[in-house]
Amino acid sequence: MKLIEFHAVSKTYEGRVAVRDVSLSVTQGERLVIVGHSGCGKTTLLRLLAGLIAPDTGSITINGDRVAADGRNLKEPEERNLGMVFQDLALWPHLTVTGNLEFGLKAHKIPRVERDTRIQGTLALVQMEPYAAASPAELSGGQQQRVALARALVLRPKALLMDEPLSNLDFELNGQMRQEILKLQQALGFTLLYVTHNPDEAFEIGTRLVVMRHGTIERMGGVEEIREYFKTLSRQLG
Amino acid sequence: MTRRVVSVLIVLLLVVIGLLPLLVMFGQSLIVNGRFSTEFYQASLASARTWVLLGHSVALPLLTTLFAVVLGVPLGLLLGKTDLRYRTLLMALFTIPLLVPPYIMAVSWSYALGGREGLVARWLGVPMAQQTSAWLFGLPGCVLVLGSTFLPIVMFLTRTSLQSVNPRLEEAGRLVSGWFGVLTGISLPTALPGILLSAILVFLLSLGEFSVPTFLRYSVFSVESFTQFAAFHEVGAATASATLLVLIVLLILVVERRYIRRPLASLQPISDREETVPIALGALRAWLFMLVCLLCGVLVVVPLLVLVMQSASPAIYVDALARAGDSLLRSMAYAALGASLLTILGFFLGYFLARRRLPFWQALDFLTIALLTLPSTVIGVALVTLWNRPATIFIYATPLIVLFGYLAQYTALTSRITVAALNRIPASMEEAAAMVGAGWLRRVGYILAPLAKRGLVAGWLVSYLFCLRDTGITMMVYPPGGETLPVRTFTLMANSPPRLIAALCLIMVMATLIPLGLLHGFVRPLRAAR
Repeated sequence: MKLIEFHAVSKTYEGRVAVRDVSLSVTQGERLVIVGHSGCGKTTLLRLLAGLIAPDTGSITINGDRVAADGRNLKEPEERNLGMVFQDLALWPHLTVTGNLEFGLKAHKIPRVERDTRIQGTLALVQMEPYAAASPAELSGGQQQRVALARALVLRPKALLMDEPLSNLDFELNGQMRQEILKLQQALGFTLLYVTHNPDEAFEIGTRLVVMRHGTIERMGGVEEIREYFKTLSRQLG
Repeated sequence: MTRRVVSVLIVLLLVVIGLLPLLVMFGQSLIVNGRFSTEFYQASLASARTWVLLGHSVALPLLTTLFAVVLGVPLGLLLGKTDLRYRTLLMALFTIPLLVPPYIMAVSWSYALGGREGLVARWLGVPMAQQTSAWLFGLPGCVLVLGSTFLPIVMFLTRTSLQSVNPRLEEAGRLVSGWFGVLTGISLPTALPGILLSAILVFLLSLGEFSVPTFLRYSVFSVESFTQFAAFHEVGAATASATLLVLIVLLILVVERRYIRRPLASLQPISDREETVPIALGALRAWLFMLVCLLCGVLVVVPLLVLVMQSASPAIYVDALARAGDSLLRSMAYAALGASLLTILGFFLGYFLARRRLPFWQALDFLTIALLTLPSTVIGVALVTLWNRPATIFIYATPLIVLFGYLAQYTALTSRITVAALNRIPASMEEAAAMVGAGWLRRVGYILAPLAKRGLVAGWLVSYLFCLRDTGITMMVYPPGGETLPVRTFTLMANSPPRLIAALCLIMVMATLIPLGLLHGFVRPLRAAR
């Protein structure tokens, strides 16, 4: 079943085309990785889906609902029920770990008892229970990563969007976090849209890959197909 | 939806409180006996006095700016970039004249240099006092008082601009040059937009100042406009006098926007973690310290001491408080209320400006900056022209009109401080809140406001001080029995003994400095704990 659909979506920033005529669909429970160089439009695509920016043309559908069309957002980000992990994580420094998770639950008017249960459960899932009262500044990079993930998952979103979430981690931690994200996705079954510039990360995380270049989709396919495509490209470049 | 409602309310408020009074005032000046007429403008342009006033009105801010820049830039450099001793204390002392109504310094200098009973007359004889008095009551005196009042603006903006220069640029320079070469070749040119902005601010603020030229009897347009309105009730003539001032202000703001705003935007505060190494002054340290102390003594300490000497009797303070104690409390209440409203209005406006979420956001920004730099007497006349009608007497005859004046003139202070504070918060903080389902008001209230709290506190404090020291607007619009301490003191000056005026001035200084000192004492332990 198709959860997300982009129909001929384009976006221009101050005369520079960021995304051009992109059509793409994502099925329920899929792990789709968008890969490409800096400035190729992959983050813009994610932000369009999140509703943080509106497309100039084309439309976006989530679960059959048109959320953006005719050059404007029909649903605001808070109405789309998507989770997102930002590149800089965007943990709110004035709130504790619990506060970061609780903020969205309160916005959704979830009763206190259920809030507490959900927070405890989600923190346990990312092994952060002992740090519930800590502030983000007291945590290591990997721990902050887990809190950002927990904050996005605690609301049980239709899909999780991740914008280069591991780019600031060292090699070892990066590998460890990839495994944890995969485990979580398999355990919870959420749809994952993952943006990265790192092909190795893309091959490990994705079940389907989209290669973007100059704002358009250059290639789309399974892991082996894209791996072969990259090999061909590098052979052509010598 | 909520965001749209709030943005529409803000635009409406700024138009009704800020723009509409000016338009109505200008419109009324073009109607004589019920018909369109440019009579007031023709009379104004044909009068030789107008051109004399224009010369005075340009000469005073030009010389004041020169005075403030010549002293303020080296001070900003020494106090912000070097290892000079007691930098924080000296910075605080130099700031005092900016925090109090400017005429207080003029009063103090008049007790020192002027009249038959001044200090110079007592110590050096009346003939000498006549010379110093002639010098003080005129252009040089106005430049001295306004220059020392606005010098802290140049000092602070120079310091901030220099501290915003990327330390790596200076370190690269230090590999091939001494500090003098780095400062003149790299630091100061990079910080130049900030210094130019401070000069423009000083020019505009001294262009609109009316209490000092009034007290020191130097005729300029802001005084003329006030006199035409307050003494002769001639709104048309007052507007005609004000129009040239308005044109000068608008011209300067356009130049600032065209040539300075963009380079200034490239100067961003450096990260708290990045360390700048203070310039070691070496053998010059002691000499420069003495020089700065001497300057501080002349510009700040001596005028304050003169007031202390003039009012050195407990009985006179009892008398002063009996006469103006209610005005003091009223000043603090108006200022606190005004600052709170300005902080709220400035925060939301600053949000829309920073996020560019308003159509015509540049026009609104320009409007608030123009209102900040317009002479307070012009805004006062405009407010009276619009609101002094039977239908709006519930506003005009109450303290609401004073608050309207504060909102009209000082919104730019809090909105620009909010813009600066919000620009330091990554956009992803608000986006992350939207992604977890928080609506706009919740995002602003629970995420952005707490993250920008230092900016909000700074905005409240700055606007409180400006409301507290305000003389021009309050003087024009205060309701019956609703005068503030600066206005009460200013009106008592004509026929009250100097001892009483000196005591009132010192009470005003204390009313400004004591809350600041308390706040500093309250905030410092919090910072240390963090």
